[in-house]
Amino acid sequence: MLAKVRPAHAGRPFGAAGDGGTAGVPVARSLRERFTGRNAERLAPYVLIAPAVVVILLLRLWPLLLGVNFSFTGDGARNGQPVGLANYTELWNDPVFRTALRNVGLLILLLPVAVAVPGLLATFIFLKVPGHRFYRSVYFFPAVLSPVIVGAIFNLLLAFDGPLNAVLGAVGIDPVDWLGEPSIAIFSVVGVQIWATFGMGLVVFLSGFSTLDATLLDAARVDGASLRQVIWHVIIPGLSRTIQFVFVTTMIGLLTSMFGLLFIMTSGGPGGSTYLPEFYIWIQQGQMNRPALASAASTVLFLVMLLVGTAQIGLLRRAGRED
Amino acid sequence: MRTARFGRWALAVPMMVLALATIYPLVFTANVALKSQRDYVLDRFALTRSLQWGNLAEAWSNAGMARYFVNSLIVVGGAVALLLLLGSMAGFALSQLTFRGSRVLFLGCLAALLIPFQVIMVPLTRTMADAQVIDTYPGLILAYVAQFLPFTIYLMTSYYSGISKEIVDAARIDGNSPYGVYRRIMLPLGKAALLSVGVLDALFCWNDVLIALLMMPSSEHRTLMVGVTSLRGQYSNDIPTFAAGVLIAALPVLAVYVFFQRQIADGVTAGSTKG
Repeated sequence: MLAKVRPAHAGRPFGAAGDGGTAGVPVARSLRERFTGRNAERLAPYVLIAPAVVVILLLRLWPLLLGVNFSFTGDGARNGQPVGLANYTELWNDPVFRTALRNVGLLILLLPVAVAVPGLLATFIFLKVPGHRFYRSVYFFPAVLSPVIVGAIFNLLLAFDGPLNAVLGAVGIDPVDWLGEPSIAIFSVVGVQIWATFGMGLVVFLSGFSTLDATLLDAARVDGASLRQVIWHVIIPGLSRTIQFVFVTTMIGLLTSMFGLLFIMTSGGPGGSTYLPEFYIWIQQGQMNRPALASAASTVLFLVMLLVGTAQIGLLRRAGRED
Repeated sequence: MRTARFGRWALAVPMMVLALATIYPLVFTANVALKSQRDYVLDRFALTRSLQWGNLAEAWSNAGMARYFVNSLIVVGGAVALLLLLGSMAGFALSQLTFRGSRVLFLGCLAALLIPFQVIMVPLTRTMADAQVIDTYPGLILAYVAQFLPFTIYLMTSYYSGISKEIVDAARIDGNSPYGVYRRIMLPLGKAALLSVGVLDALFCWNDVLIALLMMPSSEHRTLMVGVTSLRGQYSNDIPTFAAGVLIAALPVLAVYVFFQRQIADGVTAGSTKG
């Protein structure tokens, strides 16, 4: 997904422009230059990149290692002592963490929906439904709002005596306890997440459409292909890279950016039914004072994301080859 | 494919309904925020009959949103300035300069991009506590810089690699040092990308709640989003004031969206089609 961006390749030294003039200059001068001009120039790239490298190394890569290491040590009285896999077995036996993992499974099952919705809408917009610019602006807006704001708004909308139930009541449907019923709450939260983020996928799809080969679409049109055929035989193969990108970014979104929603909408409840790993990690670290256990959960989350990410890319790649 | 006019409208109707479903929650909140407590209890749907600006004032001053707002501005401003500086310097070096290890550094940056915050939050919080920067502005700013720097570098590198090396070479012949090239050529030429990535970084920081909760625990250091979450308990019986607080937190984002929608879209789609 990031193939074309590469650092400058060797063989075009930055200082090349000035080299011609110094060819016949006595050694003394180039020695002096080594301590001032030339050497400073050679160091320049490192000076420019050093602050970024320090920040990323110290505050992103190093903590990853620390965390994995930390997950094999104990909490509380056994702070710092190696405990082997004890944290991981505890996680496995914790019904709350199991619920969190089950919810991750649910998210992965719902992932195709979360990708298909913006994909279909983008197709319609691309086929120039009247007012497409308006739709693009409207659909994209919730995607830039904070999950906290979105969650706060939906707290009001999904309240038992709130607007949604009032609308349902008007057509004769009994009110639903959207956030208070364990079997429903997780679907409410995921639904809100999809409402809030489909605009992101939509914009990515639209930018993919703008790279589609227009002559292919015209040819399909001349041949009298139906909308379904066009989607299946022209758009999907032509956008395989975009679809892959949306799959991966949507999955990352579902697995790692729902904290704000959970925090304000359900706090993991009712009865722990809306826990996700990220919320579990936060509770164990902050509320339960079990940082080592939280680290183990972090490591599991990381593995899940690696696994799902590679599997998806592999699957999509194979599907792309068959076309 | 060549949808007849009728077919087009058949699509347009559900899309209009969906657009309404997207806008309605926001309109509902704005409407509630301007209602009196009594009106809200009597009828929460009807358009407000009087404009209760007092709700906004209450949320702004008594609920502390003003303070949280300033906190957010300080942190977002600091973080975005640092992100753009470090990101453009690194992006320039990685895309235009030749040096040993540039490839490894670029790959390391991409690897860092793929590490979610949740995975490193426990050790990071410890490190920050050890460095005694928990609950300080620099601490939260640093945490945001670390979180969004890989993305910023990636975007700046990809933008700068589209700039012809001849421009850089010409500037070198004119006697500019690499730093001079960065300052006189790359910064001005990178304006569009800096604006796009800067707006996105600002939104990321402004919208975050998890990092802020961990790095700025005390109540006087709350950022606006953390403030919204605390408002909920505080005004659980006064929904109009709660809605007013939510509105205050959402309005700056709406303003940014209206002015910079294009830049935001450019940023989030970077990497999705090319390459």
